[in-house]
Amino acid sequence: MTIGAQSAITAVGLKKTYTGRDGEVEAVRGVDLDVASGEVFGFLGPNGAGKSTTVRMLTTLMTITAGTAHVAGVDVAANPNEARRKIGVALQEAGLDPRQTGRELLALQARLFGHNAKSAAVRAGELLELVDLTESADRRVKGYSGGMKRRLDLASALVHQPEVLFLDEPTTGLDPASRLTVWEEVRRINAMGTTVFLTTQYLEEADQLCNRLAIIDHGGIIREGTPSSLKSELRERTGMVTEPTLDDVFLDATGGTRVRGAGEVQEIQS
Amino acid sequence: MNELSALSQRAVREAIRTPEALFPALFIPLFFLVVNVGQAARIFPTDETPFLNGQSYAAFQLPSSLLLAASFGAAALYLVEEIEGGYFDKLRAAPISRMSLVLGRLYSEFVKCLVLSAFMVAVALPFGIRIESGVLGFFVLVIMISLWSAVFNGFIQLIALATRSAAATQSGSMVFFPLLFLTPNFVPRNLLTRPMEIAATWNPVTYIMEAARTLILDGFDGAALLKGFAVIAGAGTLMLVLSVRMVNNYD
Repeated sequence: MTIGAQSAITAVGLKKTYTGRDGEVEAVRGVDLDVASGEVFGFLGPNGAGKSTTVRMLTTLMTITAGTAHVAGVDVAANPNEARRKIGVALQEAGLDPRQTGRELLALQARLFGHNAKSAAVRAGELLELVDLTESADRRVKGYSGGMKRRLDLASALVHQPEVLFLDEPTTGLDPASRLTVWEEVRRINAMGTTVFLTTQYLEEADQLCNRLAIIDHGGIIREGTPSSLKSELRERTGMVTEPTLDDVFLDATGGTRVRGAGEVQEIQS
Repeated sequence: MNELSALSQRAVREAIRTPEALFPALFIPLFFLVVNVGQAARIFPTDETPFLNGQSYAAFQLPSSLLLAASFGAAALYLVEEIEGGYFDKLRAAPISRMSLVLGRLYSEFVKCLVLSAFMVAVALPFGIRIESGVLGFFVLVIMISLWSAVFNGFIQLIALATRSAAATQSGSMVFFPLLFLTPNFVPRNLLTRPMEIAATWNPVTYIMEAARTLILDGFDGAALLKGFAVIAGAGTLMLVLSVRMVNNYD
């Protein structure tokens, strides 16, 4: 996919403040973003860093406390419905209606984006084929596996051929085979011209898929660049002998450590 | 309209696929009808009770049972499930009016209540209950009760939106139940004790019950029907305004 000079997503001083039991909580503290059209942009961070909150603000699902955000050239706070027409959203939990069949769910989604009943049925069929769910199309979603649900969720985010696709931890909880399938889908979607904004906790995923990425921690962006530029910067700054991985970049940025425990399981603590 | 129609169809499909959810809405009101009539019918014999207009006490009780059936909706609990599962966010991310998000499920409540109330009236007819206002009155009766069902369940849905919890929604819905009983459900309002008469007069559900009762016992009473439909319109408008505001500010 050719990456354009035009911005698909811009955010300036994006802030989200909640009033909790213990007073005011700043979940996102002035995030600036500039994602070019056609990019796969990774948004990484530890749990509770502000990734999902940022995505929810960019996708009109959450009010913005301060700052501005534009997606596909539309101010998401001022014109939420116009922004919704240009974005696709697949959130952390595959948001699906378990009592509908895959086909019904996609047809409904297509109708919500302006298709009439007939064209919605056609579009549902196309998408089922795209994500390889045609055989299970008339079964209720309740009986789908985790991987199938995730693919259906992806398909439902694509009914209106969005300019920008937001994927919030799309592979969390999936087995390795399903994860690879989702990666292939993301590449295919991006190759068709859609900008992808991806949050993930899997650094290998970011390394495989993303043209550029940003690391957020405690509500603010602490690193931003291409995977290779971030690794080079770390090597030069710390004088590492071996080629750093994105894990090293992430741990350096978030102040985490590696702990090697019993059974050779490597745990990353931030 | 396309979006509202799509969301309504989905909710009706869901109701058809969960027939077990209809059981309490049918069984409990019919149970109360049988029990209440069994206990009080001898106190109010047809020949000596002017407010029965020559019908049995079951005819007087029928509106209470219909209103009870109207209150057994599933919209709010399905909404909580959708919020917890993330599908509600998917719907919110679509470029559709927030009102259609609120009304989609309530349309299903309306349709379910049409079927239930028509069935309950049909069950009651062989037991000597007549709809004094005729076939047209029957349709007005089930439509009025079903509109109220949509409004009542809309308020429960509002609790679901505010609390996002099934337990809190169920507890919250109990707040509305006194409304069904602070009404002239055993005797007309003028025969209630003074405190109960005041409570019933302030209770909007009273006017829907009285409108339904006139259709069964007396025929068409314009003033009673106007009050009944005015309550539904007023409460419905309030419910919609609050619900849309809640969805707009939903974080």
